[in-house]
Amino acid sequence: MYYVVEKIKKEFKIYITAIILVVISECIGTISFQVGWGKIVLFPMLFALIIAVLLGPDLIGYFKLEECKTASALVLVAITPFMAKLGILAGGNIPKLVALGPALILQEFGNLGTMFLSIPVALLLGMKREAIGACYSINRETNLGLSIHVFGPDSPETRGTFAIYIIGSVIGTVYMGFLASLMASTKLFHPWALGMASGVGSGSMMAAATATLANIYPEYANDIFMLGGASDMLTGIDGIYMGMFVAIPLALKLYDWLAPKLGSQKQ
Amino acid sequence: MKYRDWLLILFVTSVIMAISNLIGYKTSIIESIPGVVILCGIALLGQFLSQIIPVKLPMILYVTTLGLILASPISPISDIVLQYTNKIAFMAPVTVVGAVTGISIGKDYVEFKRVGWKFLVIGLLVITGTFIGSAIVAHMVLKVTGRI
Repeated sequence: MYYVVEKIKKEFKIYITAIILVVISECIGTISFQVGWGKIVLFPMLFALIIAVLLGPDLIGYFKLEECKTASALVLVAITPFMAKLGILAGGNIPKLVALGPALILQEFGNLGTMFLSIPVALLLGMKREAIGACYSINRETNLGLSIHVFGPDSPETRGTFAIYIIGSVIGTVYMGFLASLMASTKLFHPWALGMASGVGSGSMMAAATATLANIYPEYANDIFMLGGASDMLTGIDGIYMGMFVAIPLALKLYDWLAPKLGSQKQ
Repeated sequence: MKYRDWLLILFVTSVIMAISNLIGYKTSIIESIPGVVILCGIALLGQFLSQIIPVKLPMILYVTTLGLILASPISPISDIVLQYTNKIAFMAPVTVVGAVTGISIGKDYVEFKRVGWKFLVIGLLVITGTFIGSAIVAHMVLKVTGRI
């Protein structure tokens, strides 16, 4: 009992602040606004994160370094119920997906190709291990959980994942819509293929891309929505496994191979 | 980490999740309780499994897979699991993660400001690569399987 009391006293400040931050963030609620083609949707999670960072030692200074480190350990546990929810959602969707076939599954591997370009660029820009976390996937919520647990909550890789997550949250939607219309204008891809490609693992990004595509190809609109949604759902199901067993090992290998050649140590 | 640490943190997380669900998604605390209990139960069970199963994998893989199995058609309790956890909004458990993560990365703010622009470039690159990569594979497979 004494142990629990001591522990509570130490973490009390973090818990209470977290509760207040959550209350404030949820009161702000989800904010969405239209920007050109797309919609930007900002969730309470983002506000909680931003305000919490503002309270940190580098800015307002409400939290000391020690407390930041204690919070790291809490993140590991706090994200587990969410990961359970993700698994449950996926499990509920399995029947729908079994009906859909191989192209949908195979295009998931297309999601991997990106790191062959992004990791070299990241290294050339001078990034170090953050590049691994930033480039192994498009980094949505699933990857936050994965990175936190595979690399540790305090690691450069996880910071990379978070950075891309935040950027994706803010401009990802608009950019996806823009990209989809750009790809459609090349006339190189069938609308079905573009529809499937829209499912990257982020609902809002998928919505932006499919809405734009449906606008460009009205005769294929229903197909595009269905394929985009299915592909997104599939990424939701396989995302964590692809990440863990394929993407992360691949990213690590790529990094180890390229870092000596392109990394800032060379210069 | 000991189980009592887990229980304490999970308990606080549960309370905050229920609060999120209430304020953000208008679900009463009473209604949220079974869902929250199920989610935390799966989390704990996942942690337990990761310790007793000899294969070395991060415990969240067990947690997510357990959730997947319990909600899938082969599970006898899938209806119950889905019914109660559906009351917990998708983003509700994430808000508290945002808060605690923000606290923990607060110490890196200066560093991030210095290198932030690089992540913007990479972020756009990653989204672009993912989309184009998938489109190429999808198009090729559709062609090869004769659907287009």
